[in-house]
Amino acid sequence: MGVRWDAVVDPAAVGRHQPRPPLPQPVIDRSSRRIRVCVRLFGALAALSAERSLRLELPAATTIAGALAALGERLGGTLLAQLLDERGQKRRHCRLFVGGYPVEDLRMPLHATDDPTEIDIILLIAPEGG
Amino acid sequence: MNLYSPRSDMPPIQEDAWVPSTCSLCYGTCSILAHRVDGVVVKIEGNPDSEVGKGRLCGKGVSGIMTHYDPNRLRYPMRRTNPKKGLNEDPGWKRISWDEALDEIGEVLRKLRADDPRKLVVQRTTTVTACRVPFHAFATAFGTPNFSVSGGGQHCGNGAHLISGMMHASWSVVPDFEYCNYSIFFGASKGHSAGHASCSNMGKAADARARGMKMVVVDPLCNFAAAKATEWVPLRVGTDAALALGMCNVMVNELGIYDGPYLQAKTNAPYLVGPDKLYVRHPESKTPLVWDTRTNGARPFNEVPAADMALEGEFTVGGISCHPAFQSLREHLRKFTPDWAEKISGVSAATVRRLAKEFATEARIGSTIVVDGVALPYRPVAAIAFRGAQGHKNSVYNFFSVTLLNHLVGAADVVGGCLGFNPTSHGYPETGMVRYLPNADPDGLMIVGSWMGYHYPYPPAQPRLPQNLGLQDLFTIGMTSPFLDSTDREEMWEKFDVPYRPEVMINCGANLVMSIANKDAVAASLSKYKFIVSFDLFLTETSNFVDIILPDCDYLQSLDARSNYPFIFSLPAGMGEWCWPIRQPVLPPEGDQRQFADVLLELADRVGFRADLNAAYNAWLDLRPPYRLVGDESYSYERICDAELKNNFGTERGLEWFKEHGLIKWKKKPEEVYWRPFVDARVPVYLEFLKPIGDKIAAIAEPRGLKIPLEYYEPLPDFLPCRSHCCDKPGFDFYGFYYRDVVHTNSFTMENPWLDETARLDPFSYAIAMNRSEGVKRGFADGQAVWVESETGRKVKGRLKLTEGIHPEGLGFAAMCGHWTDGQPVAKGKGVFYNDLLELDWEHTSPININLDLCVKVRVVPAESAS
Repeated sequence: MGVRWDAVVDPAAVGRHQPRPPLPQPVIDRSSRRIRVCVRLFGALAALSAERSLRLELPAATTIAGALAALGERLGGTLLAQLLDERGQKRRHCRLFVGGYPVEDLRMPLHATDDPTEIDIILLIAPEGG
Repeated sequence: MNLYSPRSDMPPIQEDAWVPSTCSLCYGTCSILAHRVDGVVVKIEGNPDSEVGKGRLCGKGVSGIMTHYDPNRLRYPMRRTNPKKGLNEDPGWKRISWDEALDEIGEVLRKLRADDPRKLVVQRTTTVTACRVPFHAFATAFGTPNFSVSGGGQHCGNGAHLISGMMHASWSVVPDFEYCNYSIFFGASKGHSAGHASCSNMGKAADARARGMKMVVVDPLCNFAAAKATEWVPLRVGTDAALALGMCNVMVNELGIYDGPYLQAKTNAPYLVGPDKLYVRHPESKTPLVWDTRTNGARPFNEVPAADMALEGEFTVGGISCHPAFQSLREHLRKFTPDWAEKISGVSAATVRRLAKEFATEARIGSTIVVDGVALPYRPVAAIAFRGAQGHKNSVYNFFSVTLLNHLVGAADVVGGCLGFNPTSHGYPETGMVRYLPNADPDGLMIVGSWMGYHYPYPPAQPRLPQNLGLQDLFTIGMTSPFLDSTDREEMWEKFDVPYRPEVMINCGANLVMSIANKDAVAASLSKYKFIVSFDLFLTETSNFVDIILPDCDYLQSLDARSNYPFIFSLPAGMGEWCWPIRQPVLPPEGDQRQFADVLLELADRVGFRADLNAAYNAWLDLRPPYRLVGDESYSYERICDAELKNNFGTERGLEWFKEHGLIKWKKKPEEVYWRPFVDARVPVYLEFLKPIGDKIAAIAEPRGLKIPLEYYEPLPDFLPCRSHCCDKPGFDFYGFYYRDVVHTNSFTMENPWLDETARLDPFSYAIAMNRSEGVKRGFADGQAVWVESETGRKVKGRLKLTEGIHPEGLGFAAMCGHWTDGQPVAKGKGVFYNDLLELDWEHTSPININLDLCVKVRVVPAESAS
């Protein structure tokens, strides 16, 4: 069968790409303090919700997924269904930003900080063409 | 006397500047240098510093001056005074001020947003890439999901971009011109016409031909690409899948040539499939299973070395009989014999076999090459497809069959093979920004790293009862939809209980009346809107339905911080340099012209959703602290552009730096260009996911009276005929189709007098091409006026150009001509309006990717004898 595909690649070559600069880390309080977040909804989500900016207080060691669950409890399942699909995964066109940085993995933990952590959520347009 | 020396009585030149910017005569968006002398642009050339064009410019690009200085350009806002809308209704335009215009538009939008923001439809032209982000951001912020890219998107993408994305993680594909030895172009003209990275590709393609690359062009028309090809293979319109599948069969089953290690390592060929045509999965983890030949058992694919995965054999797993997907594919291909392919496509069986053998042999399976010190697979063959194969109801299988040729021999995103346009970027070295990589879903199949929107080619979103007017949330394999304007749109919306209707449209530059299908259907749709606003350079046929026209700035007057980003769209593929050019104003606005981006920002302020618009820009541009837009601050578009540039390239490289330098470049690495061996993701040679998607769509649609033909959702490709292939009406014996003209961009450039003059010198540009023998047989003469009639009774009139360079059954119409608006006097009356033959309804739409069927079975009669 000739040369193996997985033998062609020199693993050392893969490491030659420029690593991404690390994201700034928040000042983390490792006590059992509850986590305060400020969730802001934009665009179509704001139109669906009576509150477009709301504060939540969450238990220590909450993840983004936990924060969204709390949001759903507060604002209802209809809104949550816009963010998450039937398997509980974030919808692709739902963009989440924590402290201004994009987040794709809902397992990311939140940390108790002096100021409430800002979570911005917006639904982008899906179809394109051309 | 030297006629070109400045006269002594002429004032001295005060200013003589070459300004770097980007073209916008087509979506290629090539980099330009605009020569401005004392406030007048006297010449436009390519920018030799840029990878985008490499200093060259096509005829359209150099002619941009004539579009800019056209006296018919709109210069002030206007409002219609005639409330009646129609194709031939004079709107009764009245000049108004910007304040009057924005007051009224703002009031309409405020009320609409309070009522239901989804009632707004935002539409843009695909020609002006700069309007993508501003209009997407506006629609996002307003809260509507209803977005259209008009005919440019509908005619050119639902098939091509879907499969290119799924299989190559990019918007489109191109041969690796630098190293390819054998290329087959199925209805494509990459490197020989307009389109993605057009000028750069022209140079690369010319060098490749000079180097000896064999180029085979499969096309009903011997046109731009075929004219320079080694071989032109005339093909019956819309039958690309038949030829490609015939070739795949010959390669796999007659020659036994395919890249087994590639299929094992980089595709789902080894995945076990059961009698239900679905993967056999691990009972707990649900991971697809493969047969491990070393342990002689079924195991999850991610636990077995690729070399140990069976590609063939019959196995039993948990009581289920199953075999690898490759075996299904191999058996499935057997029915596509060369004789069968000949019957469907018109290409002889001997040619099918020869092309297959040439392609498979030159693929040099198993070979490697070293590029910049990196050892890589070397497969110097590429089969590409684009607009020709994509313009059909069967475009998904057309495209998939062509791309299968590449994947059977491992010629996908490796040296010499079929390349996506920049599917991978390791980012700008100093900041790491604009970095993206394809990755894999839980089934191991590839998800794109970068896309033009969020309706990804894979995995498709789960279908649901639609909430979008275009029904793309039901037909999730599709992108641009015909159902915003189709004659049966109301019936569709009622079937699916869509709880609202479109009331307001904001349009940017799209001429929908001409660009999508027959004008009567579109007119009926546009007439239903309560209010339409349009940003335009000229009055168009669509303007007759508009309430307020806003005079747009053109590309010589505009700012755009990301002319050629995303890189998957219009940055040249292959080795070379990454390049990020900007567009900057070369000239000021004239009269009351304003750039659309600025107007949208002001509208958001007036209506009261600036905070949402800022958030939308943050999301679309991936702005990070400290460059994120904050709260509801009224940033100008200049500041937003500055923020994006600093966000990506560092504090020192904002807008002022880019205005001075025009662009930034950095070297590409082989691992970025030839990324396939470095990314642990597979592609489907067996479209297992289609079946459950089709079943779900049917479960939603059929109880509501819409039958879904599930043969379009089978996991293995087939030739499915278009409606034209099924027409047996006597006398209707030509397949009508339109093709891109290298001189023109859709309907946009017809008004440009230099391009019009060039087109009039070209015997094909404004004519209808017919095979000479067939024409003479029927008593037609070169230049004769004829009527062309569709099987549904639609008619267009034009003049024939008889040529040997077209399939005997083909009837080719160039570009998108036939303007009738008084607003474009140079364009008016030129050429044939082909789209007027097209129906716009479910019956003429693909039930899988909602592509419109663009080929039509027609009859041709002399114009004098038409009733």
